[in-house]
Amino acid sequence: MIRFLGIFRLLKIAKKSAFRMNFIVCIKQVPDVSAPVSIRDGHLQTDSDRMVLNAYDASAVEEALVLTEKHGGRVDVVLIGPEKAKETIRKALAMGAEAGFHIPVEDGAGYDSAGYAAILAAFLKTHSYDAILTGKQSQDTDSGLAGGMLADRLGLPYAANAVGLELEGNALLVKRQGDTAQEMVLVPLPGVVTCSNDMNNPRIPSLKGIMASKKKEVTTVSPAELGLDAAALKPATVVTGYRNVPARNPGKKFEADAEELARTLVGLLQNEAKVI
Amino acid sequence: MFLSPDHELIRETARDFALQRVAPGVRERDEAEAFPHDLIPELADMGFLGIYHPTEYGGAGYDTLAFCLVIEEIARWDASLALTIASHTSLGSGHIALAGTHEQKERWLTPLAQGKVLAGWGLTEAGSGSDASGMKTTAVRDGAGWVLNGSKMFITQGSVGGVFVILAVTDRSKGAKGVTAFVVEAGTPGFSHGPKFHKLGMNSSDTRELRFEDVRIPDANRLGDLGMGFVDTMKVLDGGRIGIAALGVGLIRGALEESVSYAKQRSQFGSPIGDFQAIRFKMSDMDMWMEAGRALTHRAAQLKDAGRPHTREASIAKLYTSEHATKAALEAIQIHGGYGYTKEYHPERFLRDAKLLEIGEGTSEVQRMVIGKKLMG
Repeated sequence: MIRFLGIFRLLKIAKKSAFRMNFIVCIKQVPDVSAPVSIRDGHLQTDSDRMVLNAYDASAVEEALVLTEKHGGRVDVVLIGPEKAKETIRKALAMGAEAGFHIPVEDGAGYDSAGYAAILAAFLKTHSYDAILTGKQSQDTDSGLAGGMLADRLGLPYAANAVGLELEGNALLVKRQGDTAQEMVLVPLPGVVTCSNDMNNPRIPSLKGIMASKKKEVTTVSPAELGLDAAALKPATVVTGYRNVPARNPGKKFEADAEELARTLVGLLQNEAKVI
Repeated sequence: MFLSPDHELIRETARDFALQRVAPGVRERDEAEAFPHDLIPELADMGFLGIYHPTEYGGAGYDTLAFCLVIEEIARWDASLALTIASHTSLGSGHIALAGTHEQKERWLTPLAQGKVLAGWGLTEAGSGSDASGMKTTAVRDGAGWVLNGSKMFITQGSVGGVFVILAVTDRSKGAKGVTAFVVEAGTPGFSHGPKFHKLGMNSSDTRELRFEDVRIPDANRLGDLGMGFVDTMKVLDGGRIGIAALGVGLIRGALEESVSYAKQRSQFGSPIGDFQAIRFKMSDMDMWMEAGRALTHRAAQLKDAGRPHTREASIAKLYTSEHATKAALEAIQIHGGYGYTKEYHPERFLRDAKLLEIGEGTSEVQRMVIGKKLMG
């Protein structure tokens, strides 16, 4: 009996090891987008200092966890941000990621997507992985550029805006959503995939997960250690300010009987809109 | 006070869980007076049914402060479910954690803290509550074991619980020092529960009468020393009241958040009603009650976690938050106007649920007695 069990276990391990996947998920801490934000003198104002894990990145972490639970492997996360952003690494570890890497930068360092991609690429060159996942964009800037720029810098195959992921041999089968159909893209590994939040419903960490996350390792890697030159990371683009979307002119309202209304409308379409 | 990053993460986790899993269907559960059996395994997976019990006994190994955060987040949406969690954790399981031997904790606390079984706790009777001298339920020595007779009233988890801690008179001549606690498992011959009580609120929490007719249990089911049942009960209630206080904070927050959101979208006389001072002042008061109530509750929790006396602080927190939860719910109904009087909106349920907090685990009057006794010695 014991021998049988032993064989089954070995088979199971062998099966798993054939598909073992090491994911690294690039995550970002963003302001809680549910808190009210206003614009004053060209600057964003918010009463809340609550920071959260970018929802698209949360979907990427979830998908990586689901795939490793199915096929074996591990999920690590990497985050660029100020000291406070380490809380967000803890959240990912509490969800089930195994180790975290924190690349400290000053709060409000002002990097653009190219800067983030350069830092991540430098870090990832020192790290081994099978696949890199990240959110398709971050909820604060909505640029949606870092994933693609990262793939380019690493010279890796890339697919954006995934709504589903499956492991197929030594590649990831990426499901992309169009208006009326889905597109299946095979991304050979190692590769980069950016994830949509339509992909899954990220798990809520349990108290056990939160407790376990305390024992997991978070390694700090400074940009200097990665051999990065601050000047080279200087953003090429600059956000010059914020302003409210101009209010739309209110529409005109007419009250009359049907015949009169039709006449007015035709007149306006001819003379004002000039479409007929 | 500020929460540690650990506690912040617990709060965020509980908030997400409450929003995604508890809020949907809360009005339907209230209307149907339906116990949420399907949510219990989810709560167990989250670790919410043994938050501050030691990991050694299946708990999550956190503290009373973490417990308060979770209770507040759940009560924000569903006070009935928060009451289930609070009473299970602090009363039934809490009494075993306080007075049980290692063997008793392994046997009963572990499945309770893991959330595999729910706990009930029986102190109140038809003719007695906070006054132990009126207790009628007896436990009489019978060879190596005990025989219980009597009944208990308004017992939370009465029909859904698997393990019950029951207070019974073991020596009438000794008054409060003649009361002992026993563990009675569901299914023990002679142990039964009455029909469901139809209540004003807390409708999806299960409340029953428990009956004991020659219920035989071994001495291994005796919890704590002979005659110490009521002394331990006072300590259990100190912890229980912190849970009720957290429940009150959650209800005040619910009343406030629903009011703010309604006051932004409801327009009268050409502007949102939230622009009117009459409405703003009400909401400012509710905000103040929430902050004050939370500060009192967290302070009591931290004293308990530090192993320091907290009877007075727990009573003050419970008294303040429960009375203000009722007030806040009334204000929320007023702000919602005619809609607030309907069951389509949350505030009327908040009011019905909040009233229980002024009654359960010692009425407001009993809290004032407890606080007054501490003042006068």
